[in-house]
Amino acid sequence: MSVFEDLKEIIVEVLDVPEEEIAMESDFIEDMEADSLDVVEMLMLLEDKYDIEIPDELAEKMTKVKDVVEYLEKRLQEQ
Amino acid sequence: MLGIEYPLFQGAMAWIATGRLAGAVSQAGGLGIIGSGTADAAWVEQEIAAARSITDRPFGVNLVLVSPHIEEVVDLVLRENIPVVTTGAGNPGKYLSRFKDQGIKVIPVVASVALARRLARQGADAVIAEGMESGGHVGEITTMCLVPMVVDAVDIPVIAAGGIVDGRGMAAALALGAEGVQMGTRFVCAAECAAHDHYKEKIIQAGDRDTVVCGSTTTHPVRVIRNRFVRQYLKQERAGAGPEELERMGDGKYPAAVINGDVEYGSVLAGQSSGLVKKVQPAAEIVSEVVHQAEQVLKRWGDISCCD
Repeated sequence: MSVFEDLKEIIVEVLDVPEEEIAMESDFIEDMEADSLDVVEMLMLLEDKYDIEIPDELAEKMTKVKDVVEYLEKRLQEQ
Repeated sequence: MLGIEYPLFQGAMAWIATGRLAGAVSQAGGLGIIGSGTADAAWVEQEIAAARSITDRPFGVNLVLVSPHIEEVVDLVLRENIPVVTTGAGNPGKYLSRFKDQGIKVIPVVASVALARRLARQGADAVIAEGMESGGHVGEITTMCLVPMVVDAVDIPVIAAGGIVDGRGMAAALALGAEGVQMGTRFVCAAECAAHDHYKEKIIQAGDRDTVVCGSTTTHPVRVIRNRFVRQYLKQERAGAGPEELERMGDGKYPAAVINGDVEYGSVLAGQSSGLVKKVQPAAEIVSEVVHQAEQVLKRWGDISCCD
């Protein structure tokens, strides 16, 4: 499965957003009404899934779905 | 782990958890904690000196991570080599390594399992799992449910907070798997606490249904005791006032109540446990009462089976 697909699954699980409404441009807070604890929950699920650690300083800057997808693709390539 | 006699933390209420209160709690065998709030380093330094004039035992400093003075207060805590820091309002991740390098224990307050797991992974030494019964900033989960969930999710010690006010609560928290408890509201009513007498009286008079959560439409809901200000605020909030407007309404309301004693038009942050706080008493008396009652409860239950 692609990173985008994985992330979509996690977003659906944590935020209950319908899958078809999740796009690369979607903003976690503006469009999907995530709060800070939702964000932490998604981060932990991603870290578990890919067995990586995502530093807070970088996580704070990822506001859109595409930010996360691009970051993860880069990390996975490095591995 | 912390070199304290009893696993009883005093919650670090901003403005009023001064060195005098923290020193008295630590001297009595608990863990006193100075609430640095949004104060500058000079104030915190003065309170550290005050606590040290009362006790040689360990005490902590609470850091509010969104404080404009956070950097200078962190530097101060490192310089003074305070053995324990608790943190709230934000993620302490970026300061963790500096504290750990110096052997300072970091104990963040968490209101969710995911945040507890994240901080444990990043190296926190313990977490304070705080339920929505607590005063001030609140999460959404009750202590009864949050504590065992966090206990199951992390392998570091868990301190329970929110709604704990006496030995029964302390024993219950231990039964849920916590290794200690933190109490805020009860210590607001300690004789050594700097809260205005009107504020303490308001807590003592409060009954079971007298606290309410304000600002649940904002990113930082707070539990307060119902008064005239709260009624106006909730009316505006129900009418659909935006976060900025609500923020403006709440501005300066906490010091108005806790320092100046205006408990009708100020904001009286306090937990649901207010209904169980009966009097103002010295911190040492609170510590010994709570610990001894907890011991009695645990001893009694030790002989009882739930299936008899």
